[in-house]
Parts: sequence; structure tokens; C-alpha cells
Amino acid sequence: MARDPKYDILFEPIKLGPKTMKNRFYQIPHCNGFGSEKPLSQAFFRSMKAEGGYGACCTEYCSISPESDDTHRVSARLWDDDDVTNLSVMCEMLHGYGALAAAELWYGGPHAPCMESRCVPRAPSQIPSDFEHLTYPKQMDKDDIRAVQKMYVDAAKRARTAGFDIVYVYGSHSYLPQQFLTPYYNKRTDEYGGSFVNRARFWRETIEQVKDAVGHDTAIAVRMSCDMFMGEPGTQLERDCLPFVELVDDIVDVWDINVSGISEWGEDATPSRFYPSGRMLPWQHAVKKVSKKPVLGVGRFTNPDLMISAINGGQLDIIATCRPSIADPWLPRKIDEGRLDDIRECIGCNVCISRWEIGGPPVICTQNATAGEEYRRGWHPEIFTKAKNADNDVLVIGAGPAGMECAMILGKRGMRRVHLVEADDDMGGIMRWIPQLPGLGEWGRIVNYRKIQINKLKNVEFHANQRLDANAIKTYGAEIVIVATGGYWATDGLNGATHDVIAGADASLSWQLTPEQIMAEGKKVPGKKVLIVDNDGYFMGVSLAEKLAMEGKKVTIMSHQAHIAKYMDFTLESPNQNRKLHKLGVEIVVEHYPTKIEQGKVHAVHVFDEEAHDKVWEVDAVVLVTQRRSNEALYRELKDKVGFSELKKEGVNAVYRIGDCVAPRLIADAIFDGHRLAREIDSPNPEEPLPYKRERRVINMAGAKAEIDEHMAAIHAGVR
Amino acid sequence: MKIVVCVKLVKVVGDEVEFTADGLDVDSDYLEHALNEWDACAVEEALRIRERLGQAEVIAVTAGDKKSEEALRRCLAMGADRAVRVDSAVTDPISTANALASAVAPESPDLVLCGVQSSDSVQGSTGTALSELLGLPRVAVVKKLEWSGAGPATVHRELEGGLVDVVEVDTPAVLTIQTGINQPRYATLRAIKLAEQQEITLVTAPAGGDPAYRVRRMFTPPKGEGAQMLKGNPSEIASQIAVIIKERLK
Repeated sequence: MARDPKYDILFEPIKLGPKTMKNRFYQIPHCNGFGSEKPLSQAFFRSMKAEGGYGACCTEYCSISPESDDTHRVSARLWDDDDVTNLSVMCEMLHGYGALAAAELWYGGPHAPCMESRCVPRAPSQIPSDFEHLTYPKQMDKDDIRAVQKMYVDAAKRARTAGFDIVYVYGSHSYLPQQFLTPYYNKRTDEYGGSFVNRARFWRETIEQVKDAVGHDTAIAVRMSCDMFMGEPGTQLERDCLPFVELVDDIVDVWDINVSGISEWGEDATPSRFYPSGRMLPWQHAVKKVSKKPVLGVGRFTNPDLMISAINGGQLDIIATCRPSIADPWLPRKIDEGRLDDIRECIGCNVCISRWEIGGPPVICTQNATAGEEYRRGWHPEIFTKAKNADNDVLVIGAGPAGMECAMILGKRGMRRVHLVEADDDMGGIMRWIPQLPGLGEWGRIVNYRKIQINKLKNVEFHANQRLDANAIKTYGAEIVIVATGGYWATDGLNGATHDVIAGADASLSWQLTPEQIMAEGKKVPGKKVLIVDNDGYFMGVSLAEKLAMEGKKVTIMSHQAHIAKYMDFTLESPNQNRKLHKLGVEIVVEHYPTKIEQGKVHAVHVFDEEAHDKVWEVDAVVLVTQRRSNEALYRELKDKVGFSELKKEGVNAVYRIGDCVAPRLIADAIFDGHRLAREIDSPNPEEPLPYKRERRVINMAGAKAEIDEHMAAIHAGVR
Repeated sequence: MKIVVCVKLVKVVGDEVEFTADGLDVDSDYLEHALNEWDACAVEEALRIRERLGQAEVIAVTAGDKKSEEALRRCLAMGADRAVRVDSAVTDPISTANALASAVAPESPDLVLCGVQSSDSVQGSTGTALSELLGLPRVAVVKKLEWSGAGPATVHRELEGGLVDVVEVDTPAVLTIQTGINQPRYATLRAIKLAEQQEITLVTAPAGGDPAYRVRRMFTPPKGEGAQMLKGNPSEIASQIAVIIKERLK
């Protein structure tokens, strides 16, 4: 289908200094866990977006020197010529698709812990990081300033050699240039501190020097945060940012505008729980009004109507996306081809970001199981090979996230017939009720996307209201049976803190409840005072606390961990979720676990109290968010009672299971699991994942031997 | 005891439609096919009668080309006992009824069920025409059916505005079945596989008369005009809308 002409503006070229971008789709710098040291993973990951129509794609933050070493996290690096070689692969692939390549040159100052390089980072003032632990910078004198500026210039030259078309002098997220601009970081009294002109001096000079060095054939981008949300000391739009735009607009080719500092950068990478798309448009618009240069910016844009309104409304020139480009690298192409139905919209859950926060394992995405798998598993999000065993019929039991994904991919792989059979009256499984938790409405996109795709697939049939037992499965007529029956919350308080049940915990009682009893089964939470036992540590406990508090309950949430909902630190949801709970008057009890639950009372102890003093909370109801368990009864019946040999007699050649039915994990993991099985349904043993390419240095034996020989010779010669 | 169900393989168009060069039909690249939804309900109703009475032969009949056997196979997979195809290229309802009658009459059925209409051409007249050709009484738009397997059936017809017309009809009769009368069962993979191997009786189409109509042109109608753009601030627009609504409600 042709593109709607109203979207034409998104496909108009735009000049960025000496370069021209073919359209208005820009992949903002974002991490993926690959850096410069997994160059093929990096190149295949970025170029998937170029193949999907992006006009330019950027590296993640790209360190300019060993002094800006973010280990344990994974950044790109342009420290030396070997980094140039590695990142040149990404540039070459992007250019092959007609996209520009951008490098986000980064110096972290105190936020770079330098755990690999053991260097000392330099900063405007000697104050330890508000983001990292125990990282003290060296306070820069003027020689230091010159030295660091030279690092930017040298790195910019290396970037150009690698093939990058755009280089950043990156300040946002409280990195060095913006530290100089911001009184919170800059306490100097020399000509690099104090007045606006002084605070702007470092950044201005650095941009000038980079411009002089590479600007004649490379576009210069500046990424600036226009509000750190920390009041007077933080960066301020009117006081700092707009004057800075006016100061350097002539030497900047493109502005990349966002908000937040680093310690709460969830204000930039906003979870859908708290902010809608386009939340930074007011700041982007403010810069656009002052600047003569193109302005780009993110805002979790998944909807092309919002994109054109941002451009037509003069708020942005270029639509930058991070998370929407992970969820759907083919977003521009789908808009171009009028396939809006096929867009896999980002749900704003931030599990992608969680990986960087954890320390840099490969990026994952709830919506797009192929994210990060482009090189190592060779997965393409839109192109599927016909399965070698496509003449098989498949029965998928359970239409939750894993079952839907698996049935959809099997359909796309051309299996003869796929029947997705569900006991409930519609698709979705747990995703029918999780999006009804406060703020999680956009998570419903998981179901919407798959439902639309499944409905389009001629070889996939969905059947609701069918609870199949083992006997019905045996005689169903499928050669391949896939069990995706999900999981459930423990009703007896079994938990990972004590590895035991909680005495007295029993969700069959009217005043003890599990999450699905409340959300899916309509079980009423009795009385006023509710205690939530949260040993899970992600969104469920705090979401229920919020919901019940909003319904007027007096809520206590108790975790054995040092703070509540630990995984939400990684998804950047913690600060605002905690603010919400405080505002709602929810009592947060950490480092405690319940020892006994009885009618009207929960007994608990502090985790470090060796004498185990009994503390009592008076309650009317208890919600058990202790752990989940696999709903594996059907699988066990098929495997253990009926037996695979019996199934074989009826023509069932294989029985697999996927998702929470195997182990209840992140929604992203369940979807990955369903996807993985469908991708490998024609492998020799689909139950076991095929090995993936591990991008690593394998030693050259001859070279290694020479080094060992040299070492041994030195010992024999008595030199050592 | 025999129940004949007349079914059709309907064409399903997606969001996008292109027409053939002669402008007489939708380009087959843009078409999918399915058992007509109303007919699926009719088959389900026949199967339920069979289950209720403990015996009955359910025979699915269609008029069409080889491709239309897909509809019959779906009926067989659902549980029909036999299937008959009248080999015919007819498309208009009267000729279709004529073709169907040639296969239905020799069966001497105790009951004939059709769907109210087909989702692709939406004429709603094949069942009625068929009853005329078979010389049987007919009841249209049936939402509920009570029948002991012989003698008169009590039939609920759906009327405008949620009204129900309860009639008694002697059998054999032709009933056209409305959706919502039941939830058609689905076929397991095994039933689909078995249905693929079942034989379908082929009947030669009777020499037909002239079709009741012919297609002269198929096209996407131009976008309607008459939209009225309201100007002003939100409160001005709101009062203009209120005026229009009041005017139309008169």
C-alpha cells in the first residue's frame, strides 16, 4: 500500500552541515551492549534500522579516551586505530543502505568509574559522581582542559577516519561539557566557572576545535539537556540552554535536544508508566525557536501522526527514536509502505535500558525478540525462512505472550496449519490484565500487535474458550504440540528470600490474595489495611500497592531487599514510582520478611536481626507477591502420564513447552522463548537453542605461542 | 432423517482492493476465501439437531467450481456426514438456487438450512429462491429453532428493533439461519485432515436459463461530499454542533 501523502514530510531530505540526510528518521545514540568490541553485532544491529529506512543511525555513547572508561557498562570507544577499524564496519554497512553514521563522542568525567583502564577521570570540580559509587575525579586545571579538548579533537578525527558522517560533542545526561555548563557540577571561580559565558567556555571551545578539525566534511552535533529538574543548581532552559544555543548556533550543524541529568535519566528515557510520547516537545520547541539549525529529539515516537505534528508544528525537524527503533527497526519503512498495522510499537517498559543499567549484556526488547540477535543468531525481524518441516501442523496451547509469539512466527515461517488454542475467551494470557495495572496501559500493545498479525496469517487459526486436556491434545491431529500454559503466583508464600513457604499463607482464604486473583478473577480485597508481601522485586508488588492505595486502602508493602522493586532501578521507573507511593501514603518496609501470617496479623523480622525480634503488622488482608510458578500440569501429564511414545502412535512427533510454563521470567523472556522455538522449529533438536555466534577474540595460536616462547626464554635466560 | 445445509465459499477482501482489467470483479490477488459465516452457523445448527436427536444425516451442498470445495471440506471437518458440489460457474442468487435445487431435491431432505446471506454479495435471496424451486415453506432470519425431527418446527425470527416473531412451520422447510443463533464449533487438525480425504459427490449443473443479473462494473465509490467543516474556537464549534443536532432530531 502506498504511503499516505500526509506523511511525505517525514521522507524529505534535510541538510546537516556538509551532509544530507535522506529523510527525517534518526536513530538516537543508545546502548546495545556491543560497543567497539563486538563490531559485527554492533554493525548488524544498527544497519537493521538503516535497512528499515532510518536516514541516520548513531553509536551509543562513544568514549574518547581511557579516562572515560565506563566499565562495567559497555560503551563504544574510539581510543585507538583498532577501535577505528572495528567501528568502520558499522559505518560501511549503514552507508550501504544510504544512511548516515553518527558517533556520540563522550567524556563522562566523574561518572566514568574507569574500572578497566584504572585512569582518573577529570572534572570541572572535585565532587564524586551522583550516579556512580565512589568515583572521585581530578579537578581540571587549564592544562587538563587543553588535554581533554585535544582528546575530543583526536577522537573526532578517528571518527571521520572510521567513516562517521556526524560527530557529537555530547553534553546531555550530565557529561563533561554539560558539567561545565551547570553549577551543580561546576564550582569553579576561574574563567571556566561562575558566569554563563564562563560556564559555557569549555563546551564552546571544544565545539570550535572539533569543528576546525573535521567540520568541513563532517556534521557537528550537540546533544544538550535543557532541564535537569534539580532547580537552581541544575541546567536551566532560559538561563543556560537558550543562551548557549545562541552562542554556538553558527558552528553547530544539528541540535539534539532532551531533558534530565544522569542520576534520574528516566526523565529522558521516560517509562510509559509515567509519561506519554512527545513529552520533551516543549523544550525541543524552545530550542527550535532560537536556532537556525535543524533540531532533532526523541520522545518515544511510534505514531506517525504525532511525528508529523511535531514537524508541521515547528517543534522538531527530525524525528529521533531510540526505543521505538529497537521495538521496530523498520518503523520508517512501514510508514512509507502504508503498513501502519504492522508497526511493532514500543511499550515503554524499558527492559532494553535495564540491560545497560545492569552492566551491559546485549540489549533485549519485550516487543522485538530479534533485537540484539541480528548478527549472533542471524534473526531478521521482518524476513522469515520457510521451515524445512513446514508440512507439519502445529497445536499451540495457550495464547499468552509466548504462545502468541510462537504461533505468529510459525505462521510467518509457513507451517501448513497452526492452531492457537486458548481456554480463556480471547488472546493475551496475563497480558489481558497486567495492562490494567496503574500506568501500564501501553503494555497492551504486546497483545494488539500479535493479534493483528495472527488475524492476517491465513495458516494460523485462533480458537478461544477451548480447554484441551491431554487426551484431546493426543487426538487433536497435530504433528507438533507446543504447551504455553503460563504460570501463576504462589498461593502459599513460597519465595526466593527464605526458599520456603510462609507459615499461615494460603490464598484460598478470603483475606489472602494473589495478583491474578485480584486482577483477573475479581476477588475482593477485604477491609482497610492491606499488607503486600513483595519478594518479587519488579512491577507487580508496587503496581498493586498503587492500585489498592488509590482505591482507599491503607497499604503496607514489605520486601526483604534493601529497597522496593529493585528491578525498577534498572528500568528507570524507581524514582517516580517511589514518589507516587509516598504521595499515596503507602508504608514501605524494606529488609523484612514475614515469618507467620494469621487472621488480622502479619509477623515479620528484620533480615539482619540475629535475635529475630517478632514485629507485628495488624492487617485486614494480605497480598502474596512472593514468587511465580510454572503452570506445567498439562505438560507433565503429556510427558509423564500419557508419554511421548503413546503420543507418537497418534501422530504427535514432538511436544515442546515455552514461556512461563518453563520458568516464569520477564515478559520479554517469555516472548523470546516462543520466538526462539518457532525460529528453530526445524533444527535437529528444537528443544535446545542452537549455539549462537559468540563474537570474541579467539587467539591466534602462532602469535600466542611466540609470546609464550618469549616469556619462557626470558625465564630460562635468567632475565626474570 | 436428512438435513441439507447449503453453503458458499465467500470471497474476503482486505483493506486494499484492486479490480480486474475488465472492471467486472476484484483481482483475485486481493482476495481470500472462507466458509460464509452465516452458513457456518447453519451447519452448526444442523450438527446440534443431529446431536440432540441422536441421529440424522447432515449433508453440505454447494454450487461452484473446484475451489468452492474448500467450504465443503470445512463443513466435513466440523462434522457433516457428506458433501455434494454442483459443478457450476453461476454467481447470481437465482441461478445458484437453481443449481442447488438440482442436488437438494433428490435427497428428499427433512429440513433444509441456508445462511441468511453471503458476506461477499449480500443478496439474501438464495435461500428464498431455493424454497420456491423445491416447493417448500420457508422462514427467513431464524434466531432460534425448536424441532423434534418430524412435524412442525417452532422458529424464532429476528425482526427490527429486537422484536421476535415466533412461527410454526411444517417440515420439510427451508430455513435461513441468522448469525448469533449459535457459536459454530471449530475443527481440530485431525478433523481437517480427515475431511481432506473424504469424497465429495459431484453433480452436473442443470441447464440454466439466463442469470438474474450480470455485473456491469465494480468500483470503489468516490469519497462522499457534503462534509461540513465548522470554523471557530472550541466553544463556537460546540454550539454549532448543538444547532445541527437539534435540527436533525426534528
